[in-house]
Amino acid sequence: MTAVDGHEVDYSSLIEEGRVHSAVYTDETIFEAELERIFYTYWVFLAHESEVAEPGDYCRKSIGRHSIVVARGTDGEVRAFFNRCRHRGTTVCRYDRGNAEFFRCPYHGWTYNNRGPLIGVPFPSRYGPGFDKANLGLVPVPRLDRYRGFYFASLAEDGPSLKEHLGRAAEYIDMFLEASPSERVELRAGASKSNFHGNWKFVGMDGYHVNFTHKTVQDLQVRRTGNAESRKSNSDRAPNLTVDLGGGHCRLDLSLTDRVEIGKATSSLIGEIPDTEAGRQYLTLMVERWGSEAEAYAKIRGSRDVHVHVWPNLQLIGSEVRVIRPISSGYSEVFGYPAMLDGVPDEINERRLRGYEWFNGVAGFGSPDDREIFERNQTGLQNDKEPWMVLSRGLTQAEVRDDGVVVGNITDEVTQRSQLRQWAEAMR
Amino acid sequence: MSAAVSSLGELREQINAFLVHEAALADQHRYDEWLELWSSDAIYWVPCNEDDYDPARHVSIIYDDYGRLQERCFRLNSEGAHSQDPPSRLCRIIGNEEVSRNGDGNVQVHANMILVEVRGGEKNIYGARLEYALQPEGDSFKIKHKKVVLLDNDEPLGNLTFLL
Repeated sequence: MTAVDGHEVDYSSLIEEGRVHSAVYTDETIFEAELERIFYTYWVFLAHESEVAEPGDYCRKSIGRHSIVVARGTDGEVRAFFNRCRHRGTTVCRYDRGNAEFFRCPYHGWTYNNRGPLIGVPFPSRYGPGFDKANLGLVPVPRLDRYRGFYFASLAEDGPSLKEHLGRAAEYIDMFLEASPSERVELRAGASKSNFHGNWKFVGMDGYHVNFTHKTVQDLQVRRTGNAESRKSNSDRAPNLTVDLGGGHCRLDLSLTDRVEIGKATSSLIGEIPDTEAGRQYLTLMVERWGSEAEAYAKIRGSRDVHVHVWPNLQLIGSEVRVIRPISSGYSEVFGYPAMLDGVPDEINERRLRGYEWFNGVAGFGSPDDREIFERNQTGLQNDKEPWMVLSRGLTQAEVRDDGVVVGNITDEVTQRSQLRQWAEAMR
Repeated sequence: MSAAVSSLGELREQINAFLVHEAALADQHRYDEWLELWSSDAIYWVPCNEDDYDPARHVSIIYDDYGRLQERCFRLNSEGAHSQDPPSRLCRIIGNEEVSRNGDGNVQVHANMILVEVRGGEKNIYGARLEYALQPEGDSFKIKHKKVVLLDNDEPLGNLTFLL
């Protein structure tokens, strides 16, 4: 029970079967509770191993409002620390990435090595005998673990393991990697950083908006490929699916209308195999790894069709590792990292970048229209004379499979309901 | 006198007129006329995170060849480009131009840009260094290469769907 607009409210009462109250997106008290109960409790995606590939490499990330330094020590181990000098709290790391043996506080020169311990305090004679540097290293995040190169952190000392948290979502991390013959990706091609005046939960999974929000993308696809494939794949008559994987993880399954073959232009640009020497070489490498041409195509298609939300802050979409950064109830950031495939000809990754930029980023042809909608959502939700939003598409038709996975039509709101159910669970 | 044979002083004036014209077309969302300024082998580059790198290995905010530029203008001209509906109100100043002739006959230009954008009750100010390779054609030029180095290319940005 917490106050919303002066009333005592059980947050889970803001989510009903098929509808959600706008305070979930607009109330700052609820946002503060989300930081505590979701971002500072659950496993959240932090960094990829390729961002700290070499000993001494570090990168600066965040968990909610906390600035976090992820560093690979000279001993080769990856650690994550709060970016705060133990003396007076100054941040010790002021760049997004780099390589350093030490983090030295600029204020009074306290110095930490890249494994965390405090190794230098200027003029130590003025501290008494009870002063022990050994107790004053950089504070590590309570739990850090990785799944296939993806590092996650939890600020809770105890709780479910990362493996338990990921559950069925892990399978889609696997699939994402399988477009590489070594099943590895690298986040070494920079990050597209964007912001919007809207709630972080708008960055969800929605199979219904494509034909409307992204009409121009579809018009361009028609112009490029001569057919309206994507318009059909996102209609209520398409065989594609919305899928609730449990635990707030969910995905769109667009694979059922996808075809991939060498030299064929596709609607997404991602995962096209060019009719060039590099394209044929890539296919050969994939056939060697996966056993047959049919399997190689299936893996390429599978990877580019990954469209999964790993609750709460990670999405893998096509070629993108997308990280959601909550700042306040009405302001969020999204960092998109194009994932480069390991072990493929350079041309394949170059095409992946150009395909990425086509849709994504602040000047792309797709993402800015999503951003525009998120901002209009946030503005619209302020008009809360009638505060309930409708999320009932497919509610009665969704199929619950034997393994508990809930599946609906691609235009259904299975995915949103999946996330909000998990939200209510976490916020209880 | 054609741009190819003019003196450096005349060339500077011609370049200034060209850049002012391009700025007006961009500010006024005259997409088709803006597109006509480009050569068919053009590259339009807005780097991301850093000011200079190999674009084959690093993501860009924009890395358009001519085909992609056509798509950009097609999209902005079509209905449903929500991020430019309503369009941004734009006003830019181009200055501090440095003009030199390249060995290949093209003109190299370095300049600074201050761009003010108003949209949706918000005012944004963008500062950028511009680099051009311009190919003389008749008494004007075609843009072979344009690079826009935004000061905040490593900060979270909003909506850059208007013409930079």
